[in-house]
Amino acid sequence: MISPQQSGQPSWQIGAPEEFSSSLHLSKSQPDPLRSEGIGRERKEQGPNGVAMDYRTVLIQRTVRSGQSIRYPGNVVIMGDVNPGAEIIAGGNIIVMGNLRGMAHAGASGNQNSVVAAFRLQPTQLRIADHITRAPDGESVKPDQPEIARIQNGVVVIERYQPNSLRFPAF
Amino acid sequence: MGEVIVVTSGKGGVGKTTTTANIGTGLALLGHKVVLVDTDIGLRNLDVVMGLENRIVYDIVDVTSGSCRLKQALIKDKRFEDLFLLPAAQTKDKTAVSPQQMVELCQQLKADFDYVIIDCPAGIEQGFKNAIAGAEKAIVVTTPEVAAVRDADRVIGLLEAAELREPKLIINRIRPSMVKKGDMMDIDDMIDILAIGLLGVVPEDEHIVISTNRGEPAVLDKASRAGEAYRNISRRIAGEDVPLMDLEANEGLMGRLRRLMGLAR
Repeated sequence: MISPQQSGQPSWQIGAPEEFSSSLHLSKSQPDPLRSEGIGRERKEQGPNGVAMDYRTVLIQRTVRSGQSIRYPGNVVIMGDVNPGAEIIAGGNIIVMGNLRGMAHAGASGNQNSVVAAFRLQPTQLRIADHITRAPDGESVKPDQPEIARIQNGVVVIERYQPNSLRFPAF
Repeated sequence: MGEVIVVTSGKGGVGKTTTTANIGTGLALLGHKVVLVDTDIGLRNLDVVMGLENRIVYDIVDVTSGSCRLKQALIKDKRFEDLFLLPAAQTKDKTAVSPQQMVELCQQLKADFDYVIIDCPAGIEQGFKNAIAGAEKAIVVTTPEVAAVRDADRVIGLLEAAELREPKLIINRIRPSMVKKGDMMDIDDMIDILAIGLLGVVPEDEHIVISTNRGEPAVLDKASRAGEAYRNISRRIAGEDVPLMDLEANEGLMGRLRRLMGLAR
């Protein structure tokens, strides 16, 4: 379990989902996920906390490497690894079907119900909404199963990913 | 038409220049026509490692600026008829050459040579952009250090963004004994993170220090383990299927030898 390092108002500001900009290095042959429509419902409405929700999802089928950044107002699914030095910033949930070793920020537009799930969850830093956490110093445990991080009672907790018992946040 | 291969790493001091010199010489040893291009303008080293420093008259900037013809700037190696070096300029800086000029230069070179090997400077700025501009393939060199692997990862991302698909990895300066003890990152850890194909593993070797200082690439030294690794890498570049050198077995033998010597004393 990762203990919260800081909560309350973040020192950095992330604008409304529409203001997300791309700093992703994409090759010419691949479509820019930020310009593409993404998958799923393109429906924006008020979420539980009065935060605008974006239900679109983008699928990234590659390794996200150091220095690369993926910003998307909706959900982000990565089929590949997220290496140290890379960052994923999503308005919604982040799912990494691989190793998450970089930085992930779910619910960047303020959605406290966002989650970060990964086959191997070992991020340099994990942010959900306005919570920032990191792994305890000097502890490098390699997870051997999929895990999910979310906010529970104001604290970011990481637990084993159990598909059947998981109640995904109600949108 | 030849192949243009850039040797890069991001981090400095991991062995790009040594690798370029050894691969180039290794390919020449196999009978290929090779040219080495030093793009580290202002900090040229490849000529020193090749032992050709005193032969430089014209350099890459003279060629791209039109002060001389390409043929005039190419320095023929002392040992091989078909090995050439295009040295970097020492009194200019990285902005003296543009990526477009590099593309044209590489086009010209690959018409005449089987392999054009480009030695890339450290960093990811102008010098790096120049070095990769004309390349078709890339070799990423890293050492078993977290910082070097991190930089290699960054560089692989930039290479992919520049349409240089599937770069190959060389792991340099590995010490099997330290890996065994768990004090050094092992090969699998690095491949796991970088997720690219492995071209070769070069063990730490004192011969490299001696050979670079002398200007005699280690591939020419039959006794050098690193030289053997580079000979294997050269053969793999040339399309041969060469199995990875057994680092562990050698370590065992060396260890045994040391033990025997210890007993003898």
